[in-house]
Amino acid sequence: MENGSILETIGQEIIGVMSPVSICMFLVVLLVYTVYNPSTAATSTSSIRTAANLVYLESSSDSTSQKLEGAILNAIVFVVIITLVTFLLLLLYYYRFNNFLLYYTRFSVFSIFSTMGSSILISIIQRFNIPVDAVTFFILVLNFTVIGTISVFSNGIPIIVKQSNMVVLGIIVAAWFTALPEWTTWVVLVALALYDLAAVLAPGGPLKLLVELASTRDEELPALVYESRPNVVRNSGARGSSLGLLVAPGIGIGAGVDNDNSGGAVELQELLRNSDNREHLVIDVRGNERENGGEIEEVSEDAGETLPLVENSSDANRVSLRNDIEEMESEEMTERGIKLGMGDFIFYSVLVGRAAMYDLMTVYACYLAIISGLGCTLILLAVCRHALPALPISIALGVMFYFLTRLLMEPFVVGASTNLMMF
Amino acid sequence: MENDSRNPNSSITIDETNPLTSPSRRRSGHRVEWPTIDGPLGLSPEDSLPYARRFFKLGFLCLPFLWAINCFYFWPVLRRPQSDPLLRRYLFGSAIGFLLFTAILLSWAFTFAIGGDHLFGHVWEELVMYNVADRYGLTGWM
Repeated sequence: MENGSILETIGQEIIGVMSPVSICMFLVVLLVYTVYNPSTAATSTSSIRTAANLVYLESSSDSTSQKLEGAILNAIVFVVIITLVTFLLLLLYYYRFNNFLLYYTRFSVFSIFSTMGSSILISIIQRFNIPVDAVTFFILVLNFTVIGTISVFSNGIPIIVKQSNMVVLGIIVAAWFTALPEWTTWVVLVALALYDLAAVLAPGGPLKLLVELASTRDEELPALVYESRPNVVRNSGARGSSLGLLVAPGIGIGAGVDNDNSGGAVELQELLRNSDNREHLVIDVRGNERENGGEIEEVSEDAGETLPLVENSSDANRVSLRNDIEEMESEEMTERGIKLGMGDFIFYSVLVGRAAMYDLMTVYACYLAIISGLGCTLILLAVCRHALPALPISIALGVMFYFLTRLLMEPFVVGASTNLMMF
Repeated sequence: MENDSRNPNSSITIDETNPLTSPSRRRSGHRVEWPTIDGPLGLSPEDSLPYARRFFKLGFLCLPFLWAINCFYFWPVLRRPQSDPLLRRYLFGSAIGFLLFTAILLSWAFTFAIGGDHLFGHVWEELVMYNVADRYGLTGWM
């Protein structure tokens, strides 16, 4: 069972993670492709100033070496800021400022939806000249903002709404990141992939510490993560399937757009469920994985969920359920699916969105590269069984495919088809 | 079955005769009636009333989408006449509120969009969103 084919057990989870990522990337590409206008972009992109281009503002007149140097400086500053913020939040989490983290995340989600989201909506409205009146618009924005803010934290929200909310959040932030100048975007992406690698895998890396801390406390990861939860009860054959965390710099994405009202960093942080309902949540690191230490995030369901599954036990009330679960490991149970950090969503989509500004051919290449990279990461996850960075493989493949497509494949394909050698 | 009395969730039927069966057989064997569309992953029946009430009340702050989510989330309750009458009352309130609000907002929006400036005059120019955004500099992206 546990040693059965990896693909057999992991297939559903791969789809559960890949489909939201694909939807997110597709919508970002659609957004960028329809709204982006190269002629006006030169004036407007230079006016946006974020944490990702604090040092150097790219202008198209600069020489290549200047651009490269400035972009590397930007990326270094950005990664340093992210590292500092992540350590700060780790410190806050360590000293149990959970409420502060909670309200801070609420505030950042609120400001993302209200300012960045509404500004994207306005761009769409202006692009298509939709005759919406201000009253309707503000009511709609208010509704979406409130639902977005609530659904990150509350329990009384359908899972599908929560999941789509995370996707929308990823789309908004990714769309803003595509407004960064081109060189800076690429260098920042590569730097983030390297940072992700270090932060999750290196001993003493902030995300590794965070995951370990959360798992020793039996709490949920204090960050914005996408949870793919299985909706169907799987049988015991699929029980030992891979579960784990893909941690990206979703912790502390210092977008830091200097809007008037967002006022600084837009770190995506802290998903805490402080509800009574989840007190029954049983962290069940099973026997064979127990030796591997606290890195595995094997989270079983809360008691309410397992209730119909252990119905043969004579005492199926909630208190004794925990013991039941821990004792009867042959029992069937559903699991909590793979968690994917918001950072992964955002930076995958940023890559694809940036590719969409050049050509659709690069978009296809980057999409395939990212999805295959994600698949590799998921298979590695099934093998390694501890938190893995999801950015490095995908970003490396994506960047490589972008430049290969742009520099080698496109001249060839365009040349061949314009000369009627290939259709 | 003494645990039924201890279990606050009385709508869950517990089968003793059928130990460790496959999920499909179990599902077909007897109905487990959860109040929410998420089934076992969602709220438990005793938790759902406070949430439904809170969402119903919050909906009056010009937030009809909360009403919609309320109805969507508790759809099984809405469909099942024999469930908690108080919960159903909140849900029906939400449904009616959402439908009313949507009807009013849609009719206003379509009147505004189709009527155009020959219906509203210069007010239309002042109210239409892309002019408002230009006037107050609301565009930041792209």
